[in-house]
Amino acid sequence: MSGLSFSVFRKELKDHLRDRRSVLTSLMWPLIGPVVFMVMFNLLASWYRQDRPLALPVVGREHAPSLMAFLERYGAQLEAAPEDYESRIRAGSLDAVLVVPDDYAESYSAGRTAEVQLVVDSSRQSARQSVLRARRLLEAYAQMLGNQRLYARGVSPDLAIPVRVQEADLSTPERTAAGLLNMVPLFLVIAAFAGGMQVASDVMAGERERGSLEPLLLNPAPRSAVVTGKWLATVVMAIAAVLITLVAYMLVVRRVPLEDLGVKARFDAPAALGMAAAVLPLALAASAVQVWVSTYARSFKEAQTYLSLLMVVPMLPGMVLALSPLQPKMWMFAVPVLGQEVLAGEVMRGEPLGALPFLIAGASSILLTVLSLAVTARLLSQERIVFGRG
Amino acid sequence: MIEARNLHKRFGKKVTAVEDVSFTAEDGVITGLLGPNGAGKTTTMRMLYTLVRPDRGTALVDGVDVVQRPQEARRALGVLPDARGLYPRLTAREHARYYGELHGLSGATLDKRVDELLDLLDMRDIADRRTEGFSQGQRVKVAMARALVHGPRNVLLDEPTNGLDVMSTRSVRTLLRRLKDEGRCVVFSSHVMQEVAALCDRIVVVAHGRVVADGTPDALRASTGKDSLEEAFVATIGTDQGLMQ
Repeated sequence: MSGLSFSVFRKELKDHLRDRRSVLTSLMWPLIGPVVFMVMFNLLASWYRQDRPLALPVVGREHAPSLMAFLERYGAQLEAAPEDYESRIRAGSLDAVLVVPDDYAESYSAGRTAEVQLVVDSSRQSARQSVLRARRLLEAYAQMLGNQRLYARGVSPDLAIPVRVQEADLSTPERTAAGLLNMVPLFLVIAAFAGGMQVASDVMAGERERGSLEPLLLNPAPRSAVVTGKWLATVVMAIAAVLITLVAYMLVVRRVPLEDLGVKARFDAPAALGMAAAVLPLALAASAVQVWVSTYARSFKEAQTYLSLLMVVPMLPGMVLALSPLQPKMWMFAVPVLGQEVLAGEVMRGEPLGALPFLIAGASSILLTVLSLAVTARLLSQERIVFGRG
Repeated sequence: MIEARNLHKRFGKKVTAVEDVSFTAEDGVITGLLGPNGAGKTTTMRMLYTLVRPDRGTALVDGVDVVQRPQEARRALGVLPDARGLYPRLTAREHARYYGELHGLSGATLDKRVDELLDLLDMRDIADRRTEGFSQGQRVKVAMARALVHGPRNVLLDEPTNGLDVMSTRSVRTLLRRLKDEGRCVVFSSHVMQEVAALCDRIVVVAHGRVVADGTPDALRASTGKDSLEEAFVATIGTDQGLMQ
């Protein structure tokens, strides 16, 4: 780095760090991801946690004493259902209510199929686990009775079960939690963009708007040195944002009950280093593109608008990846943004990758950086850019 | 010394900002570029200080061609441009230091130079205040300090007293005379006749992108046959529009 770029860099960073409000904005943004992550994880874990006793309000308890005894034996806490149980279920304050009709005992004694009702609201994610547990208990009771009746008639219960379905559920808690974890690469990449946004707007569009670009360019410093210095200041903020995000995730993951959800995700120091190695080269490229875009903008506000739009770029592939992780292919690593998101995701899942994907992703970012900086330096020798467009 | 040679500049297809401007500004002389608004003064200045590339013609700053070797020409120039924006979160001293660094100064040399300038411009009291909220006069002083920090042989000023009160105008004039006494080449543009008359040894009158008169105030009066400078200007430009304040 030439001494001139360093002078520009030092001035821009000092100038920016004195603007407390915009520094805070740049550095608060990255914290959104980890906070959302923590809240969602704790919520998920509380839904799925098994050690909680199953509370089951019952209507018509007196009609089915042996069923009630069975349920209590298997850990259900039975209670009388309130009058307005339907609206409470809809509101979410009750998960499920068991209704035993008046004719239950009659049908039961006669050996017919007796009906009970499980009142639920299937659109409630949070009730799913309780409903599932209640239904399993009721089915187990039905099966036990059925078996007894068959035995009593000298028939093996197996005859009544020609096919037994063994469910191997790959979805549910693990999958949902993994989906949340897949947001981590996306937020890391967004941080690479969010961190430098304020500086990038200020160093070019802001500089021209306040009329200090013309005097600045009167110095005998080459345009490339000026652009490099301004870019470096942006990079520092972008890297700070990425590192803050990463550290925040590490801290949050320790406090989140990942085990309860059976999630396998690596968030130890080597994984964090791997993710940093994946995303940090993008901070260079994102900052360079931001400085370039900012050079085009007529004003600070306009620059901010453009740069906010630019932040949508990482969101598109990031969302797709978070919802349905792709099988990584080599070409993906060469696409800036997509490459980093795939790479960080693979590191997080603990997949062995080797150095090549990192090198490809890093090289493509550096190429984009050099290109953007060169174009920006050329722009600064154009009169319509220096003096603003009429 | 600054020599402008047949400078010509058009913007787009239709607007000709500068048609043909040639003049020489000697060392130890204050040269005034006088002309009504829109005469092409600012564009001429911008070509001299290398930020606008002339379509034809060129200019030499101490013999260095501004089109061929702009970076070298900038070393020999101190400029107070049309845009004189400051960084609101930096102090006056930091402005001067930043520009000094960009001119390759550092360490004790830079410290000494900045201190001299702060004294010269009489801005000790505001040196370590952030420039946010500075008055027009204070802002011009900061802009001057950063333009002169490298001790340029040639000083270009675009309408330096625009928007200044009487006291600030006086201190700018004092500064320009001092720069002249130090043997520097001083060129400033203005649309205010009184300003130019009060300060300049030599006047270059620009109208419609051309030099319409060039000489000492006395020579101008003699050539037009008018007694007062004011009437001499009106006679050379053909109108008094935009010249009087």
